[in-house]
Amino acid sequence: MAEAETKSIDNASIKMIDKAASDGVNTAFDRAETKKPCPIGVEGSCCKHCGMGPCRVPPPKGRQETPEEKQKRRGVCGATAETIAARNFIRMIAGGAAAHSDHGRGVAEVFLAVAKGEAPGYEIKDEQKLLQLALDWGVDIGDRSNQEIAINIGEIALAEFGKQEGQVLFLNRAPLKRQELWRREGAAPRGIDREIVEIMHRTHIGVDQDYRNLLRQGVRASIADGWGGSMIATELQDIIFGTPAPVLGRINLGVLSRDEVNLIIHGHEPLLSEMVVVAAQDPEMIALAKSKGANGINIAGMCCTANEILMRHGIPLAGNFLQQELAIVTGAVEAMVVDVQCIMQSLTAVAECYHTKIITTSPKAKIPGAIHIQFDEHNAMESARAIVKTAIENFPNRGSNIDIPKEQTDLVAGFSHETINYLLGGIYRASYRPLNDNIINGRIRGVAGVVGCNNARVKHNEAHTTMVKELIKNDVLVLQTGCSAIASAEAGLMTPEAASKYAGEGLASVCEAVGIPPVLHLGSCVDNSRILIAATAMVKEGGLGDDISELPVAGAAPEWMSEKAISIGQYFVGSGVFTVFGVNWPTLDSEEVSKYLFEDFEAIYGGMWAFEPDPIKAAHLMIDHIDKKRQALGIDKARERVLFDMAMRRELEGA
Amino acid sequence: MEYKIEKKSAPGRDEVEVLGATYEEGKPEGEELGKWRQKLRDRNEKLKYLQTGERYWYGKDWYGSEKRKNPA
Ligand code: SF4
Repeated sequence: MAEAETKSIDNASIKMIDKAASDGVNTAFDRAETKKPCPIGVEGSCCKHCGMGPCRVPPPKGRQETPEEKQKRRGVCGATAETIAARNFIRMIAGGAAAHSDHGRGVAEVFLAVAKGEAPGYEIKDEQKLLQLALDWGVDIGDRSNQEIAINIGEIALAEFGKQEGQVLFLNRAPLKRQELWRREGAAPRGIDREIVEIMHRTHIGVDQDYRNLLRQGVRASIADGWGGSMIATELQDIIFGTPAPVLGRINLGVLSRDEVNLIIHGHEPLLSEMVVVAAQDPEMIALAKSKGANGINIAGMCCTANEILMRHGIPLAGNFLQQELAIVTGAVEAMVVDVQCIMQSLTAVAECYHTKIITTSPKAKIPGAIHIQFDEHNAMESARAIVKTAIENFPNRGSNIDIPKEQTDLVAGFSHETINYLLGGIYRASYRPLNDNIINGRIRGVAGVVGCNNARVKHNEAHTTMVKELIKNDVLVLQTGCSAIASAEAGLMTPEAASKYAGEGLASVCEAVGIPPVLHLGSCVDNSRILIAATAMVKEGGLGDDISELPVAGAAPEWMSEKAISIGQYFVGSGVFTVFGVNWPTLDSEEVSKYLFEDFEAIYGGMWAFEPDPIKAAHLMIDHIDKKRQALGIDKARERVLFDMAMRRELEGA
Repeated sequence: MEYKIEKKSAPGRDEVEVLGATYEEGKPEGEELGKWRQKLRDRNEKLKYLQTGERYWYGKDWYGSEKRKNPA
């Protein structure tokens, strides 16, 4: 097998990894070879929270440690391996929750400016969602204008971040039983920032030194992310950019164009990218592109920004996290504009080998060697036009070393909760009843949320697609976001035809009847909040228990790498979902902490973590959990009947 | 939405009024494709949709599994 084929399952990526090697370009795939993970850090046994450390406290390898050894396995300050592992773990949650929530805060600020008429170019596009939030938050509707209502909504949303007491408002959307559980367990977040700050405090030297208490705070902060910052980001973005509805798109590096100006929008927030999409359609800009010898302007997305503009406009998507450098390696990208999160610093080094300009836009995220065009939401169109112009003017500098892989795949995206509800029931009787009924009758075994990143330590996209195929083959409907969704789309799993090709008979029959793919794209990583809402709708529809923890559902992030993924996983678990992560697990060196997360959590939160790097085995852990929940609900027999019927049918057909 | 009333001749009777087609003619194209929310035209329709379509959260007289146990 050629070297590149061991690094990705995606042909377009394999070609570009090869091209990078022949162009002498160093990528994450190379660095993962030469830079091995620290064996102590990877399992959570290194602390550097004070100047007496770093302290490394790994257990002895290959044998059971003695009680005396365990007693001595401490940092200079006396912190045990359990405390150190738990502190490291919840600091990851703090990092992830902070990233999602700061994104949410940024959206709330722009939203308020839009409401006040101070952000020209943006508008309130989805009045219905505005009204929905007004009902959620008790904002008077009456005959007030959308602007007046939006000002109240924006102010309440912003206040959620700095709130000191009470509880995060969107918690009210969760099943009643879950809300009670959160309050009982001290896991209901008071304000979003407060819980993150409290993690930083409690993990400082000499503060919280009970791993169970530390992990409880981790749950609370993660819920402030999923049911707080992320949900605020999703909902407010829907109001100003529109709630996604099914849309056709194309995906993979083949969406880049040989004869047009290629501008890639990479990062996470849709605030700028929405404007860049509009600016690129300006006839003046198109004329400028033509004057430079190009046939037009081709906008393509990368990572979650891509998911945002794909979900709302069907803008082509060039790839996921591990494809960001490879896009530049095509030699055909005039500019890559980035905002925040998951942007490799090496982009500028890769770009030096070609003509690509890297443009940073956020005051929070600058990269030496990049051009900085600060995005100002009060003057968003001007920033967007400056970016598009920079790309166009770079077109004549394209070299001759261009190779755009031909691979691109069709997909249907845009499955918000609202759209799923509508598709299942229609506009007059929107409902989750058909989904619940098909789960109860066993055609659909259960639902899985498969999300998260790419990780250069494992073969690009392999774990995602292997796991998702295994799940749908076993009649599990899959909901996806982030880079995981991109992986499945590249593998052709997000078209309605994928149902007959890859899904089990039961799931395929439902997908064909409704006209949906067996794998639904719900958006970016903040849009995991849409999965929480979909799960809640399933509970509230009735027939599948009273809480998310009773549903036949499971979650996974088979190629996770970011702190955001840990926060997402933790709020899935804290919301009652069994969640499996692959690659590696950051508390493995502490048996107690791992056991607490993998087993004891179930008794407290109804959901628990698992670690399984093999995607097939991980899929079967999820399926086993789904079956366990089906049994508890008393609907396991129904599925057996369906299977029996199908077997009989096959027998009859074969006779 | 507005209902279209059509007149039809019925056997043994004079013309009767029946409810006409409730679907939109033609096929949505481009950006319109798949978008359904704009079909709700005014605020009242939108609020009504929230109470019915999103009744799990906004319905007044919906009795899902939770509300049976916790009547408002
Ligand atoms: S906080 Fe304790 S365990 Fe951590 S580096 Fe300092 S002394 Fe070592």
